[in-house]
Amino acid sequence: MRDSITTARAGIPSIALVTDAFWPQGDFVAAATGMPSVPRIRLPHPVAGSGEDAMAKVAADIAPQIISILTGAAAN
Amino acid sequence: MTLLEARSEADALEQLHALGLTDGLPVVIPTPDRVAMMALATGLDPDLELGVMGPAHGVASVEKVATAAVMAGCLPDHIPVVVAAVRAVCQPEFDLTEMQSTTHCTAPLIVVCGPARHQCGEVASGFGALGPGHRANATIGRALRLAMMNIGGARPGVSDMALHGHPGKFTYCLAEDTENSPFPPLHTTYGYAEDDSAVVIVGAEAPHSTIFTGDADDPESANRLLNVIAAVMANPGSNNAHLRHGAVTVIMNPDHTTVLARAGLTREDIQAELAARATNTAATLAHVGSAFYLNRDGPPDELVPILKDPSRIVVFQAGGSGLYTMVMPSWCAGPHQNPVVHAAIDLDQACEVPWADTLGVGQSDTTDVVGGAA
Repeated sequence: MRDSITTARAGIPSIALVTDAFWPQGDFVAAATGMPSVPRIRLPHPVAGSGEDAMAKVAADIAPQIISILTGAAAN
Repeated sequence: MTLLEARSEADALEQLHALGLTDGLPVVIPTPDRVAMMALATGLDPDLELGVMGPAHGVASVEKVATAAVMAGCLPDHIPVVVAAVRAVCQPEFDLTEMQSTTHCTAPLIVVCGPARHQCGEVASGFGALGPGHRANATIGRALRLAMMNIGGARPGVSDMALHGHPGKFTYCLAEDTENSPFPPLHTTYGYAEDDSAVVIVGAEAPHSTIFTGDADDPESANRLLNVIAAVMANPGSNNAHLRHGAVTVIMNPDHTTVLARAGLTREDIQAELAARATNTAATLAHVGSAFYLNRDGPPDELVPILKDPSRIVVFQAGGSGLYTMVMPSWCAGPHQNPVVHAAIDLDQACEVPWADTLGVGQSDTTDVVGGAA
């Protein structure tokens, strides 16, 4: 979250990828740093250790959302 | 019951501190009304003796335990767990007198199992369950500690000779994360029915963090996880490595239990595997100068297990999802060598009481309060 916020503050489009278990923390950090609407995408939890196939599926699922947000086609 | 007199709650608090009756933090003042109401909430006779607490050999009556619970900040909902915890540590095989007196830092870790996790709480079992921010966890564990101090007579440097102690001696309580665990509820291991509630208590050091990142593509993942937990258990500086009895508590986060369950391992399998793997060589014990390992003429590469009985490894799930499992070594000494004890939580006897009225919630004049939230 903080990396994403720092990057966004530097003027570089940024999206935080946040797993479900850490979603509340993402909201907290976003609010605490004064960027409550910083873009973020919810991932299943856990991703780490879930295996290459599972991670590839997560990546495939979220790639369109990332493109969509970065191109301004939709807000998350 | 000894009654003190004070002009105000603030004066009463200073008296309690001065008499050494607190753990150093502020307490809720145990007025006769509050203690009577807390005792009433147990549904038991206030004079009923739950056990005797050493080293002072104080009788832990319901009333005295209720006093500790009030001071700790418990709600009446919490008291059935406190009563069960006192009953558990007063069992002779727990060696409470010796445990309270030792120079080791051991403290009773309370694991709350069964429906009481919800009915007497919520007793937290997820993120930060052993840390601050969970009222039931904090106050139930603190109530047992205050009972051990004020009924059992444990005073640091006088009768409790722990060289350093550890933060779990303030409070050390969490619930099992039964709903998300692949294992049967922990208390069923000790003969309770799933619908029963019980505390499982083991004398424990502070938690030692154990890092492991699973990999669902790695067929050796479970094997590696068992290896790293066993390595932390076998820390050659711990009493377990030297005395080779006692117990070890292993609190696994959901990701780690998933790795082991995916490999088809039961709780008993895990206990057996950890018991077999948690070893030191005789050379290592000689290297660290173990005065307790006496087989010095044996081969240097002889593997010396840290415990003989796999059932003394208390394995259950709690904590948030992530990379860490917690391992708590133990003291291992005393006549019964640090066994695991348990006691039923009796929810049928408990009764609701008007606690807010007893505390005076909402009854006093308006008071300004400085909010601490960000």
